[in-house]
Amino acid sequence: MHRPLDGKRVVVTGTERDFGRELLDGVLGGGPSHASGIATSALETRAQVDVQLAAAAERARGPVDVVVHVAMPEVAFEAIDFAEVDDARWEAVWEGTMRPTLFVLQAAFREMQGRGGSIVLVTPTVSMSGAERLVPYTVAVEGQRLLAKSAARQWGPDGIRVNCVAPAPEHSAVGVESTAVSLAPPALGGPGDVVADIAPVVVWLASDAAHFVTGVTVCADGGVWMAP
Amino acid sequence: MTGAGQGVGEGIARACAAQGANVVIAARRAETGEPVAASIRERGDEAVCIVTDVTSRDSMTACVAETIERYGGLEVMVHNAYRGAAPHRLEELDVELWDRNSRTAVWGSYYSAVLAFPHLRDAGARGRLILITSPSGVEGSVNIPIYSPVKAAQRAMAKSLSREWGPLGITVNCIAPVAASPALMGAFEQNPVLEERVTARTSLRRIGDLEHDIGPVAVFLASGDGGYVTGQTIVCDGGSFMGL
Repeated sequence: MHRPLDGKRVVVTGTERDFGRELLDGVLGGGPSHASGIATSALETRAQVDVQLAAAAERARGPVDVVVHVAMPEVAFEAIDFAEVDDARWEAVWEGTMRPTLFVLQAAFREMQGRGGSIVLVTPTVSMSGAERLVPYTVAVEGQRLLAKSAARQWGPDGIRVNCVAPAPEHSAVGVESTAVSLAPPALGGPGDVVADIAPVVVWLASDAAHFVTGVTVCADGGVWMAP
Repeated sequence: MTGAGQGVGEGIARACAAQGANVVIAARRAETGEPVAASIRERGDEAVCIVTDVTSRDSMTACVAETIERYGGLEVMVHNAYRGAAPHRLEELDVELWDRNSRTAVWGSYYSAVLAFPHLRDAGARGRLILITSPSGVEGSVNIPIYSPVKAAQRAMAKSLSREWGPLGITVNCIAPVAASPALMGAFEQNPVLEERVTARTSLRRIGDLEHDIGPVAVFLASGDGGYVTGQTIVCDGGSFMGL
């Protein structure tokens, strides 16, 4: 039986939404020793993040090996004319995405330090393509994507890998379709099924099979975004 | 031109002024901004210093208002100001250093864009927003890890805003320079090995001049010649990072 996550303890964030929940289901298919989800609302402050990761490790009866970060505040998905964006919204989307992401990465580092591990961020392709009326969202996602690259560069010597998986924008609640940013249809059909099509890519990056892969963004969008 | 009291901002300001622009040196400190504006005027070009804190909506609002009052319009907004490039470990990064990076690079970009917008819209096809990013915003950074996400955020802003404002004729682009700024020269002074490595990786084997190498790229994007370029990042580093 193919169990690429055999013996791994996994945490998936953002499981209050369908995408995160289905991704957790898909990850469970990889055969981890334990996998659990954390809702976005439980990850707002550094203290909350630390408590949640520690609790996940306790549930899993050992330190966490894999963190899949999907969580994002609900307000981030709202399309809005940029001219209408006020400071409160910018704070809620940009800081409300980046700070928890930083805290999750830092907590994951502490779990994995001295043992190695894998962190996977879900960053829809729309941050790379850009989209009208989604400045706050795309800014925040791209911030996450580069935070992953910097973390990958610093934490590689610790055996901690950090990568991104970029699904089609249809998997985010932002109301953008792949055809908005590409004239070509998805080469493999799209936007794909979370459990059958996207989770296996996350599982691969989380597994030891990807032990020499870090700092990359793997587009799992059925072949739309092909840059560079 | 924010952050124009020194470095890349000063170089771009000088280059734009030399090509006939009326340039506002929006600098945090009069001690740096005033001499730059004065030396531009001494060359016979036009510039004025407006002391501006890019992390403050009120200060940025006042800067834009004073610009309109003085020059009658605002066609080109360039956001360059940035503070916080201190080497650090990501696992130890505290909220204070995060804030310094986030407030200057990202909040500063947001204020630059949202407060300039009514005037850029009035300028129509002459409207330009230019954000100064970095190759680190594409490839990540091992020494200053938090620099990368805030610089990447600017690239995403340029892409999304270019799509949103394109129908109005406004272009939005980024420049990712590597040049002889005080920040880079300071880093080289502290770490001579870094200078050797950076120069060796640079195809042209020299570090860019602020006014004469980086400035013209901004002039191009700001001018009519660059009017069909939008949503892009132009890397201007002498041929080092080639990942786009």
